[in-house]
Amino acid sequence: MKSRRHVLSTMSAALIASMCVVGAANAEVGVTDKEIKIGALGVLTGPNAKYGNTVYDGIETVYEEANKSGGIHGRQLVYVREDDRCQAAEAVGAAKKLIHQHKVFMIHGGACSNASLAAKPEIVATKVPWVITASTAPSLTDPVTPHIFTTMLAGWMESYAQVQYAVEKGMKRVAIISQHDNWGRSRYDPLMDAFKLHGIEPVANEEIVPDPADATAIALRIQAAKADAVILVAFPKAAVVAVRDMYKIGYKPFMIGGSTVGDVGLFTKNIGIPGSTDNLHAVSTIGYTADDPAVAKWKKLVEAKYSGDTFNIYHMFGIASGQFVVEALRRAGKDLTRDAFNKAASNLSVNTDVYGGPITCTPTNHQCHNTAAWFGLVNGTTKRLATTTVTR
Amino acid sequence: MLAYLLMSGIATGALYAMVAIGLVLVYRSTGHINFSHGELFMFGGFIAYTFFVILGVPYFLSLILAVIGGFVLGVLSDRAVYRPLIKAPPLTMVLATVGFSFFLKGIARYFWGSMEGGDYVAFPAAMDPSPIPIGSINVFPQQLLILAGAIVFVVGFTIFFRMTRAGKMMQATSENPTAAYLSGIRVERVYTLTWGAGSAIAAAAAVLMAPMTLLSPDVGFQLLLKAFAATVLGGLGSMPGAIVGGLLVGILESLGGGYIHSGVQDVSAFIVIIIVLVLRPAGLFGVRNIRDT
Repeated sequence: MKSRRHVLSTMSAALIASMCVVGAANAEVGVTDKEIKIGALGVLTGPNAKYGNTVYDGIETVYEEANKSGGIHGRQLVYVREDDRCQAAEAVGAAKKLIHQHKVFMIHGGACSNASLAAKPEIVATKVPWVITASTAPSLTDPVTPHIFTTMLAGWMESYAQVQYAVEKGMKRVAIISQHDNWGRSRYDPLMDAFKLHGIEPVANEEIVPDPADATAIALRIQAAKADAVILVAFPKAAVVAVRDMYKIGYKPFMIGGSTVGDVGLFTKNIGIPGSTDNLHAVSTIGYTADDPAVAKWKKLVEAKYSGDTFNIYHMFGIASGQFVVEALRRAGKDLTRDAFNKAASNLSVNTDVYGGPITCTPTNHQCHNTAAWFGLVNGTTKRLATTTVTR
Repeated sequence: MLAYLLMSGIATGALYAMVAIGLVLVYRSTGHINFSHGELFMFGGFIAYTFFVILGVPYFLSLILAVIGGFVLGVLSDRAVYRPLIKAPPLTMVLATVGFSFFLKGIARYFWGSMEGGDYVAFPAAMDPSPIPIGSINVFPQQLLILAGAIVFVVGFTIFFRMTRAGKMMQATSENPTAAYLSGIRVERVYTLTWGAGSAIAAAAAVLMAPMTLLSPDVGFQLLLKAFAATVLGGLGSMPGAIVGGLLVGILESLGGGYIHSGVQDVSAFIVIIIVLVLRPAGLFGVRNIRDT
């Protein structure tokens, strides 16, 4: 009798032990009782480092706030950064390291589009959830991959928003000043599509190099075309020279800038001539300027945590994206799995503290951010003037 | 339209000419094209930015300090990089200057690269930046300053070469280094002086240009290309050729951009250069080498 009881208790202990082992084997990768490990894939060093590091500083600040308030269902968020140096080859290695070495639950990041596009096949093959923060290549989320989402405006959206805004403002004769390098092309081509969509032709279509010393010829040609609005698709350096030279010749059309000049106050300071941007409205991914009281809480947190950082637009990309991910993790429930996260994220709309509209994902649309905000100077201060929901 | 295009072309061309002069100076003395010349230009601009914007030193004093800083940088680059390679094959020197350009760019990016949150910094104008009317056109005061500065530097360098002992030694060394050495000129010291002078004039050009554009660690390469085009157009090694070539490149760009299409602006000068070199291979002011047969 005693030996039978001993056998039964031994078998029960073995059964419980084996269940624990099976349970451990089925636990989701990167998730323990105490933490959720999330990987940052992006540029951390080199000339483009700020497009990565600052964004991830914003994300980590949101994570830290979530951790301070008890974490996600009791689990702390741990953020591991890997450098893709903004290069395709490096991005593949960085993605593999996060997935196979760090064994992260998901990836939250992605800045340079070329690097993100290169990393995508590995992420698709391993089915790791990926929320993209700053890459703008539309093919990252279109067509939909069930576990890939983006909280950034796609490249084409900015161009569509510019034409849409010109039409909304009643502009009849619209001209273009654009760069024709790789960056410029990724915006110029959709811009021309948007012109076709609205059934209008640009009255002048001028090209500017990224680093011009003078744009008087361009200003004169646009003036001769009698354009009442000019769409700018240019880096700040080129845009400064173009706007400055239009002002020089006394030509003051309505100017519709891209996100590169979204901080109209800073752009005006760069030109150095007060009044030269009075007619400029610029599109932006974010809904507030860095010194707007509405985002003061985040500015204070970021600058306290990262002493070298001055709060800017890139932090806000990270904050919006971080708030979306935190909410998706919460909704995925205590028994966190990748499938549960994907399901939660695919049916989620989050009003963040820093964007002009909600981040909304649906099962058929993982381009989750589609609200462009318009900024201009009001009494010398950059203010949000309007928002546009971009459609194609 | 023509008046505007000519004015803009001349102001931009004056800048190209100043950068080209530095390039020619080094080429004439050492026989090497300095591919880090654009980055020396950029670095000079950032030195001035540090004094003018960060430390609040007046513009013209900042310009002088940047010229001195540029000279010191040129001398240091000679001592650290070029002199050890003086007897190396020309290709080694090309690689050394290219490598040095990356080094300077990296340093600039580290110290100034993200100072204002972007890749660039704004350099305020020396005077009221609002355009002023001259005849039928408006010009920026800074454009006039560029023209004045270019004239001062060209005249100054001409006087330096013709009237000073150091200038004459540099001339002699460029004509025939062996003869100069035999006549007691310390050729290596002349080379050092030349690298310094070339870098100093590039720094001056940068300080004049910076308020018209923004300053970034990548600003030098485009200027180097234009200056190189100017020297080839004028005749590689010719000082008057560099000045005329620079002005011509600026004017051709402006006219091409205005009358043909803005897309032509950046390449119009190069098209003309190809034509000139086909018709006159030594450039406008260059002396054609006669090969003994």
